[in-house]
Amino acid sequence: MAKVLLHFIVLALLFFGVWFLLSRIDFVNIFEIEQLTKDTEEKLSAWVLKEMQRGKPELGSDSVQAFVEDIKQRLCEANGIDESSIFLYILLERDINAFTLPGRNLVLYSGLISYCNSPEELAGVLAHEIAHMEHEHVKKKLLKEVGLSMLTTIAGGDASGEIGRQVMKLLTSTAFDREQENEADLWAVRCLAKAHIDPEHLANFLFRLSREKGSIPRQYELLITHPNSQDRAAEILNLRKRETYEPAPISDPGRWRAMKGLTGSFEERK
Amino acid sequence: MSAPQVLLNDPNEYESEKASNSYLMAVVVIMFGLPLPIVNLIASVIFYVANRKAGHFVRWHCTQNLVAQVLTFFANAAGVYWTAGVVFGEREVTNTYIAYIMTLLLFNILEFIAAIYAAVRTRKGKHVSWWFFGPLTEVLVKG
Repeated sequence: MAKVLLHFIVLALLFFGVWFLLSRIDFVNIFEIEQLTKDTEEKLSAWVLKEMQRGKPELGSDSVQAFVEDIKQRLCEANGIDESSIFLYILLERDINAFTLPGRNLVLYSGLISYCNSPEELAGVLAHEIAHMEHEHVKKKLLKEVGLSMLTTIAGGDASGEIGRQVMKLLTSTAFDREQENEADLWAVRCLAKAHIDPEHLANFLFRLSREKGSIPRQYELLITHPNSQDRAAEILNLRKRETYEPAPISDPGRWRAMKGLTGSFEERK
Repeated sequence: MSAPQVLLNDPNEYESEKASNSYLMAVVVIMFGLPLPIVNLIASVIFYVANRKAGHFVRWHCTQNLVAQVLTFFANAAGVYWTAGVVFGEREVTNTYIAYIMTLLLFNILEFIAAIYAAVRTRKGKHVSWWFFGPLTEVLVKG
């Protein structure tokens, strides 16, 4: 029996050894296998941002930008993420929407800021979007639904109008599958707890969004693409119980009101 | 390959053919069943069950072939699962993946050659004991 075991160990070592040694060879480059490289991703991201800003200008308020950047910084610092690796864009658009784009770009519509009842709710949405980023959900969705060759074409600037529109629609819809949404929620709850922000605010945001669905459907882009918001809110409340944290306010109510007022005034001017 | 053993040294013509067929069957099934590794395993199990009451020589070689197939099955199944993830899922083609498939290919080729060699030798009534699988078969058949 000892001989059998010894042989087995040698055989296993041989198998894994060959595998390990072969994996040191850069087959991907040798066989010129196309991959969504960092370079392609950055080009794709630049293209998407340019297309988006053509129709929707940035909000253009330094104080609103700084306020949201502060929340992003708090979440990143608490979770060991390089804050400067995430680029935040606030676009002047009344729709309630937030999404991530390739190249670690996070886009918020001003309508979402106006809709949030507290900076903690906004932090909840940011945490959820950062979770999608950390798990590379956008990249996976694009590879699955658009395909590598098409993405490379778009990144190269050769996309026709219709293809471009389809990709834009896919990216701004933020419709991930159920599994990815759950993964992002779980991560967001942990992220918020580490930053000493109560995840209950994210659940409240989702509950409110699902309750108000019928009244202004056009604006509720986020809800249309996240149809199971109520279930998710309930699950967030469950997950929250596992975490320990001491909630610390993000900002004083006065600053938050002023920030919302400013966002609202920009929207009205539009 | 180690030296033939006394017990296994003198099979009759019928036994030699049966033992040889167990390896030939594996060779044929590897050729057709590689994309679905379970096919190899099922074929080996069927052959083993059908010959479990045969003489010692046939039983020994059916067992050796079966244990080889069981181990190959797990390695190949992992490769098929990984490939399905690349083709239909979200997995990417990485150096680690290509290296695994190449390692699988290498070990399958080695097994293929060993099976042909064993089929020829056993057909002549000669005993063949594979490295690792031979001693393991010894334990299983005695047990």
